[in-house]
Amino acid sequence: MAGSNEVNANECKMVVPLNTWVLISNFKLAYNMLRRPDGTFDRHLAEFLDRKVPANVFPVNGVISFDLLIDRVTNLLARIYRPSPPTPSDSQRPSLHADLQSPPSPDPFPVIIFFHGGSFAHSSSNSAIYDSLCRRFVSLCGAVVISVNYRRSPEHRYPSAYDDGWTALKWASSEPWLHSGKDAKLRVFLSGDSSGGNIAHHVAVRAAESGIEVSGNILLNPMFGGNQRTESEKRLDGKYFVTVQDRYWYWKAFLPEGADRDHPACNPFGPNGMKLEELPFTKSLVIVAGLDLTQDWQLAYAEGLKKAGHDVKLVHREQATVGFYFLPNTDHFYEVMEEIKNFVSSNC
Amino acid sequence: MKREHQESVAGGGGYPAAAGMMSSGKGKMVGMEDEDGGVDELLAALGYKVRSSDMADVAQKLEQLEMAMGSSATQDDAFLSHLASDTVHYNPSDLSTWLESMLSELNTPPPPLPSSPIPNHQNNQFELPPPPAAPVPAPILDPAECSTVTTVDFPTPRRQSEYDLKPILAAPDRVVYGSEPPAEVNARDRKRMRTSSSSSSSSRGGGIGACVGGMGSAMPAATEASSTAAGAATGALPVVVVDSQEAGIRLVHTLMACAEAVQQENLKAADVLVKQISMLAASQGGAMRKVAGYFAEALARRIYRVHPQQDCSLDSAFSDILEMHFYESCPYLKFAHFTANQAILEAFAGCRRVHVIDFGMKQGMQWPALMQALALRPGGPPSLRLTGIGPPQTDNTDALQQVGWKLAQLAETIHVDFQYRGYVANSLADLEPCMLEAEAGGNGNGGADEEPEVVAVNSVFELHRLLARPGALEKVLGTVRAVRPRIVTVVEQEANHNAGSFLERFTEALHYYSTMFDSLEGGGTAGAAAAEGAVGASGGQQDQVMSEVYLGRQICNVVPCEGTERTERHETLGQWRERMTRAGFEPVHLGSNAFKQASMLLALFAGGDGYRVEEKEGCLTLGWHTRPLIATSAWRVPAAGGALPSASR
Repeated sequence: MAGSNEVNANECKMVVPLNTWVLISNFKLAYNMLRRPDGTFDRHLAEFLDRKVPANVFPVNGVISFDLLIDRVTNLLARIYRPSPPTPSDSQRPSLHADLQSPPSPDPFPVIIFFHGGSFAHSSSNSAIYDSLCRRFVSLCGAVVISVNYRRSPEHRYPSAYDDGWTALKWASSEPWLHSGKDAKLRVFLSGDSSGGNIAHHVAVRAAESGIEVSGNILLNPMFGGNQRTESEKRLDGKYFVTVQDRYWYWKAFLPEGADRDHPACNPFGPNGMKLEELPFTKSLVIVAGLDLTQDWQLAYAEGLKKAGHDVKLVHREQATVGFYFLPNTDHFYEVMEEIKNFVSSNC
Repeated sequence: MKREHQESVAGGGGYPAAAGMMSSGKGKMVGMEDEDGGVDELLAALGYKVRSSDMADVAQKLEQLEMAMGSSATQDDAFLSHLASDTVHYNPSDLSTWLESMLSELNTPPPPLPSSPIPNHQNNQFELPPPPAAPVPAPILDPAECSTVTTVDFPTPRRQSEYDLKPILAAPDRVVYGSEPPAEVNARDRKRMRTSSSSSSSSRGGGIGACVGGMGSAMPAATEASSTAAGAATGALPVVVVDSQEAGIRLVHTLMACAEAVQQENLKAADVLVKQISMLAASQGGAMRKVAGYFAEALARRIYRVHPQQDCSLDSAFSDILEMHFYESCPYLKFAHFTANQAILEAFAGCRRVHVIDFGMKQGMQWPALMQALALRPGGPPSLRLTGIGPPQTDNTDALQQVGWKLAQLAETIHVDFQYRGYVANSLADLEPCMLEAEAGGNGNGGADEEPEVVAVNSVFELHRLLARPGALEKVLGTVRAVRPRIVTVVEQEANHNAGSFLERFTEALHYYSTMFDSLEGGGTAGAAAAEGAVGASGGQQDQVMSEVYLGRQICNVVPCEGTERTERHETLGQWRERMTRAGFEPVHLGSNAFKQASMLLALFAGGDGYRVEEKEGCLTLGWHTRPLIATSAWRVPAAGGALPSASR
C-alpha cells in the first residue's frame, strides 16, 4: 500500500496549492485521530485542536462580529457578522449594543444564515476557517451573516442540527433590524458547506412547509449520501483527502441508531425522500467540487431539485477538491465567490 | 490544474471599495506581519503558524505521519489510537513542531496501561486529582472579635461525575480554632513553621479527612513544543450578547453615554445620566441589573471624586472571604488552581526537593490539591517547601501563619515532608531574591550531595497589580528570574483594562463584567445548589451574592481610579506574553491533558454548560460561551546562557 500512497499524495498535491494541501491534510490526519471505531468521538481533543477566534466588535476590514445567544434553553449561540456600523460623528465610542443590532443600510440587504461544515461532528461557528469565510461573505454581499453554532454529532444526532437551524431562521424572522426595504422583508439566504449545506436544505424544506420565504439556498459541497456506492465514490476513494469509510462513519454518527444512508436526511431524493414538487421551495445555487468523492450525490441532488420543478444553478468545478473555499488562492475560490455574490444580489 | 492567484486590492471580484478595505483573505486580522519571518499569511489567518520556507518540510511530515497512521485511516490502528489517547498534544498552531512530536511517538513504544482504578482516564501523565470538594476552610473572622472561637465546616463532597473522579476530602469534618496556644505542637512542627512575622501561632488542628484519589500512571514527559513569541496584542473585543431586550439595550446605551460625558468632563450631564441608570437598572432583571448597579456606582465615584475609592481598612481579610465565595460559586479560581498545579506538577517530575512560591497565599486553597498529587506520585512525594506571600493584616490575626499551619497538618496526614514560610509584604516589589532562596545549610542535612531545590513561582491575579507603579513588575520579574524557577505559572484576567482612554476602558470592562455576571447567573450556583441539595441552596445563593460583591469591588477600581490607586490593571494574554518574553522568559506549553481535565472539571463543578476551555498557543483560557475570561500561562527561564532580558526579540 505504501506505493499507492505515494501516488495519491503526489496526485493530490498537483491540484491544490501547497498551503491548501497542508491545511486540509492536517485536518484529515487530526480528524482520523478523533473518530473512534466504536462510533464515539474524542470531543476534548477535537476542541483542543480546533483553532478558534474570538468575535470582535472592533472593525477588521470593515466587518465586525459578536456572539449572541439565540436560544437560552438549548444554549444555542450564533456569531453575527455585519458591516461595521458607522460611528456617530460626535462620538468616539466603539460599537454599542444598540448599534450592533441596527440595520447596516437603509437599502434592502441580504441576511445569510450560514451553517458551518465538519460532517456534523467537527468545527464551530468560532472556528477560524469559518470565521474567515463568513467575514468574506459580509464583504462580498453587504450581508449580515448569522453563523449558527448547531449541536453536533455523535452527542446530538438527527434532527438536532436541523432543529437548531430552524430556531435560527425563526429568530431571524422575529428581529426587526434584519428586515429591510419598503416592504420590511427578511431577505434571507440559507447556506452552508458540507454538513452545513445539508442542514441548509432541510431547513429550507421546513421553511417552505411553514410559509417562511427564503430568498435562496447556497450549498457548497453539500453533504449527501445513500446506501449505493456511486462511481465517483469508487473512483476517488482516498485520493483527495476524503475516504468512503470516513463518510460512512459520520453518517452513522449523525443518523438515528439503526438507520441506513437512505434515510431522507442523508438521501433526500432517494427511496425514502419526500416529494418537493408541491412545495414553494426556494432557488438554489449548488457548488460541486469535481474531486469530491461524494459529487455523484451532489449532482443527483441538483437533478432532484430540477425534476421537482425548482430553480437550480449548478456550478461544477471539475478540478476543485474539498475545502477549496478556505483559502483565497485559486481561481476556484474567486470564481465561486463571484457566483455567490451574483446569486445573492439577483435574489435579494 | 493548480494556479496561484494574486489578490488585487481593486478587487477582481468586485469587492466593495469601502475605505481602508481590501479583500480580507490576506488575513491581517491576527496582526501577523513580516516580523514573523515569512509566515504563510493565509494559514496564519486560520490559526496555523507555518513559515513559507518550511511549507514543503511540513508537507513531508504530514505524509510521513499519514503513512505511519495507516493508509486507509482505519481507526483501530494501534499507532493512531496511541496518538489520540495516550499522547499529550501541545500548541497545535505550531504545525511543524506538533507533527514532529507525533512522529517522535513512532519511536516510543506505547506505555503499559496503568493500574489506575479510574475508567476512561488511562495513560494520562501527571494527572491531578480534581480540586477538593471544599477548599481548605478559613476561619471566618469577625474583625472586631478575633479572639472568639470560630468553627469551620468541610462541606460534603459534590456529586460524582460519570468519569468517576474522586474528591480529595472524603469525610466531612469539623475543625475548631481557638485563640489559645496549641495544646501540643511538637518541636519538629515548630521548627518547620518558621515565619517572618512574630505573632504566635494560634491554631489547634483536628483531623482532616483521609484523602482518596485515583491517579494516572507516570509517563515520560511529552516533548514540549516551543513557539515563536507572539506578536502584539490583537486588540479584539469579543462581545457575547445574552440579553437583547429593549430595556437592556437602553441601559447599556445610557451607561455608555454617561461614561462618555465623564470622559468629556461634562459632569453635569454625567450626573443626570448616572441617576437615570439607577432608575433603568431597577426595572431590569438578572445579571444586567447588578452589573449596571456596580457600574453606576463606579461612575458616581468618579463623578463625585470619592476618595479613597475603597474602604481599605478591612481590605485583606474581607477580600479573602469574598474570594472564597467566588471560589465556590463559579469555576474560574478552580480552573486557575487546577491548570497552574498541572504545570507545576509536570515541572516537578522526578525532583526530590521542590519549592513553591505563592505570590498571593490568601487561604491557600490552591495547595491541598498539589500536595495530594505529590503525595500520590509514583516513586513517592518530594519534600515540599512552600513560601506564601501576603499583605499586612490590619487585625491581630496572622492569616498567613494560620494557613501554613493547616497545610502543615494536611501534609502530615498525607506523609509529605513539608516546610512553610510566610512573608508579609505590602507589595511583591518589596521581595528580594535572598528571601526566597533556599537557606544555606538546608534543612539540617546540607552538604554538596543534597539535591538542588526546584522552584515554582505561582501568581494568580497578582501580577497586574504591579502595573500601578512603574518599574514594579520589572523588579518582580527580575526577582523571579534570580531564583531560577523551573516554572512560573501566571493566571490573569483576560481583558484589556489597562490601556486607552477612560471610555475605552469603561467599554471593555462593561463587556467583561457583563459576561462574568452572566456566568454567575447562568452557571455555577444553580447547578451547585442542586448538587448540594436543599441545605446547600441558600449557601449557593450567598456565594453568588458575595461573588458579585467581589467582582463589584474590582469594577469600582477599574473604572473610577487612576494612578497608584488603580490596581486592577488587567491585560490580555497577548500583552502578558509580550511582557514575559521581554523579561527573558520563554513559554512552557499547557497540553491536551490539562485541557481535557480542565474541561472535565467544568462538567463536575459547574451547573451550566456555558463554560468553555480553549487552547491558545500553549496557554489555556476559561470563558463563558465564546468569551475567554481568564487565562493560564506558564513560563521558564531559558536553560542555556542566561541571556539578559533585552528590548529586542
